[in-house]
Amino acid sequence: MTDRTGTVVSSGGAPPLLTASGITKRFGATRALSDVDLVVAAGERVAIMGENGAGKSTLMKVLAGVHSPDAGSITLDGAPFAPRSPDDANRAGVSIVYQEPSGFPHLSVLENLWMGRQPTRRGRLDRGAMRDEASALLDRLGLPARLLGRKMGDLSLADQQQVLIARAISMRAKLLILDEPTSILTATEADRLFALVDQLAGEGTGICYITHRFDELERVADRFVVLRDGRNAGETHEADREALLAMMGSSGEIEVDRAGHLVAETSTTEAPTGGHGGGAVMLEAHGLTAHGAFAGVDLQVRAGWISGLYGLVGAGRTELAMALFGEHRIDAGEVTYRGVPYRPRSSRDALARGIAYLPEDRRTQGLLPHMTVGENLAAASLAVLTRFGVLSRAREAALVKRWSDDLAIKAQGSGAPITSLSGGNQQKVLLARLVATEPTVLMLDEPTRGIDVATKSEIHRRVRELAAAGAAVLVISSEMAEMLTLADDVTVLHEGRVTARLSGEQITEQAILRAATGVAA
Amino acid sequence: MSAVTVTGPSRSPALVALERVQSLLLPALLIGEVIVFALLSSRFLSADNLVNVAVNAADIALIAAGLTVVVLMGGIDVSTGYAVGLISWFLATLMSSGTPGALTLIVALIGGALLGLLNGLLTARLSIPSIVATLGTSALFQTALFALWNRRDVFSGPVLPFLSGSERAAGVPLMLLVVLVVYAALHLVLVGTRVGRSVFAIGSNVEAARLAGIDVRRVRLLGSLVLGLLVGLAACTYLARVGVVQASSGGELSLLAIASVVVGGTSILGGEGSVLRTLGGVVFIALLENGIVLAGVPSLWNGLLVGCVILLAVGVNGAVVLLRRRSGVAE
Repeated sequence: MTDRTGTVVSSGGAPPLLTASGITKRFGATRALSDVDLVVAAGERVAIMGENGAGKSTLMKVLAGVHSPDAGSITLDGAPFAPRSPDDANRAGVSIVYQEPSGFPHLSVLENLWMGRQPTRRGRLDRGAMRDEASALLDRLGLPARLLGRKMGDLSLADQQQVLIARAISMRAKLLILDEPTSILTATEADRLFALVDQLAGEGTGICYITHRFDELERVADRFVVLRDGRNAGETHEADREALLAMMGSSGEIEVDRAGHLVAETSTTEAPTGGHGGGAVMLEAHGLTAHGAFAGVDLQVRAGWISGLYGLVGAGRTELAMALFGEHRIDAGEVTYRGVPYRPRSSRDALARGIAYLPEDRRTQGLLPHMTVGENLAAASLAVLTRFGVLSRAREAALVKRWSDDLAIKAQGSGAPITSLSGGNQQKVLLARLVATEPTVLMLDEPTRGIDVATKSEIHRRVRELAAAGAAVLVISSEMAEMLTLADDVTVLHEGRVTARLSGEQITEQAILRAATGVAA
Repeated sequence: MSAVTVTGPSRSPALVALERVQSLLLPALLIGEVIVFALLSSRFLSADNLVNVAVNAADIALIAAGLTVVVLMGGIDVSTGYAVGLISWFLATLMSSGTPGALTLIVALIGGALLGLLNGLLTARLSIPSIVATLGTSALFQTALFALWNRRDVFSGPVLPFLSGSERAAGVPLMLLVVLVVYAALHLVLVGTRVGRSVFAIGSNVEAARLAGIDVRRVRLLGSLVLGLLVGLAACTYLARVGVVQASSGGELSLLAIASVVVGGTSILGGEGSVLRTLGGVVFIALLENGIVLAGVPSLWNGLLVGCVILLAVGVNGAVVLLRRRSGVAE
């Protein structure tokens, strides 16, 4: 346990399994963690809480050897622990299981369990030993042994997650970190996971559990550690919602939205565009199907309106948006744009018509890492900046100035490398890239993933302004708070099918989650 | 844009140092090479010899210019050498049957364009990795040349006077001017046009470029076409230089062109570089080839040195990329 002066004291008399003290981690100028302390005892279940950007994941990644801290020290079982890689941490007994399963989809469960440390006999894989040990392990964890021969990619997300937990256990994990494990699980699957967690804690494994869901708190944790803006914000043994919310609140601007989900925004309560139903339907899909991704989807995006598209990992939301953007195959169904049939062919075609898409993954799908802020911003506007093939530097500079001012992008001039910007400002550049094309339909896929709270509310405000100015906006998000604060209506996808269409008072966390996990039709 | 001093990830001292090494690599190699060869041979720095070097390097220079465009997009072409050989056979055959020079030049350009488009279609259209596709076409071109050659060397002179080494204006070979015009033109296209910007965007992050509405396939195809045209032109200067087409003519050019590009400092992973850097790389490689001969070193050493220099340049480039990734400065 940690008192407010930052001194680390042992939890409940038991010798601590893991003690992290004074952990500081910077990413450029952003301080993700400042002087954070954490103690976990053997067999203890600790929930790590805080809003997005509070530093939960960064702290866990420091423990798991993904990031090395800039300051601070960690001990594991009383010995200094400074993992240089996830592999290092694994060997020492600290394993992490991510929100989205990260195994090898083309290999069998057996091979996944043993990846990187296969037993050998005279230089050959000892398949017998692998199989025997693995079945004993699955048996102990209450998982069916028939899983072993199946391909990882064929399993449900819940089963994949359990295999990864089993893998962690088989590496003799003393501390198991679970990063929002239930966000992709149905209620039954979550219960199975909780039982497994209890069993492991009973056997002496320390558990760190990141969650956003208040409803599962009491079920999963003995102690609740709250982070805020990268610092310790307090901790408690009581699953007291009000007290936890108060600890988590960012800079006193905490608000609780209509579903009781915390939101750190001053503008939360101003419902975006009001319940007037929006303007004309700009983009509409009917029975849209792409085998293996989504099926029979109806969707409308209206002018002056923010539609939400929610779904868990693998629900097909990104594929759907990419299809409307001309970058994913469509097997059946119809799309109309401004009331006229429209067959999306390519992103170039879509952009030229006024349909813009902000990709889900900033790094792999958005940024041009070798290029400047200005070049990144202007990348989708080259056609209007060009005459007879020649780029007009003056017009480019004007465009870049206009939109970087508009979005208040913080950079050392438009000639600065894009990689010199913070994540939030990079995201603003990518948004500016789209807005600069002056689109009529704006599809934003996880527009604020992994960026700081201040920039997040700036982006939210700008998105509302765009809608108010007449843009038809579709926000895709796996973040509940974003759906609840931003969307005028919410379409929920579950395994590629629409399971709910909610508007006004119907938009609640419970309703969205039920639909997203396929509980309600 | 608000003025803010610090923002994103910081560069580690090791990365800063290595980036300096990378930018100083070519100048250091050039200076070292000139000093060593000047000491070993008094003729090395004579005007005559330098003009000679320029004339002899014209084919590599032309290929490397086009290759830079392809490499900037993250591609590669290992078939250029045998493409030159194959086109040269047709040129020599046409010329020995009395075809006028202007016509043979057109044939060379069309031939180069066709071979370039073949590579372009395989890589841009069918999405075959460029190293595999061009290894395949290289074998194809080599075999075609061998079959056409059919144990009969074809002798020939220069296609057109200004593509031969002998034609001078104020002592400067016209061929050198042709090369410089090509470099200047490509440079202007790369830095000042929509296509040029697209080339860098594709090399930086092809997925992001596509989602930003850039026609990746068309730009890639265009890059292969430009390389093909320059390969055709290089066949003309090659033929003027060697005067005869044999079973494996041109084969040695592929590696030298690639070496020029990477030693120049264009990233083999794409997104970073310029044709002007490549021109520096060409000068280095050309002086190396020439200096070794003048110094009386067995030509076996030539390959060794070229190989080492490629590995050095690519190694430094790779280390920079690795450190950038580690310090979170993206790619």
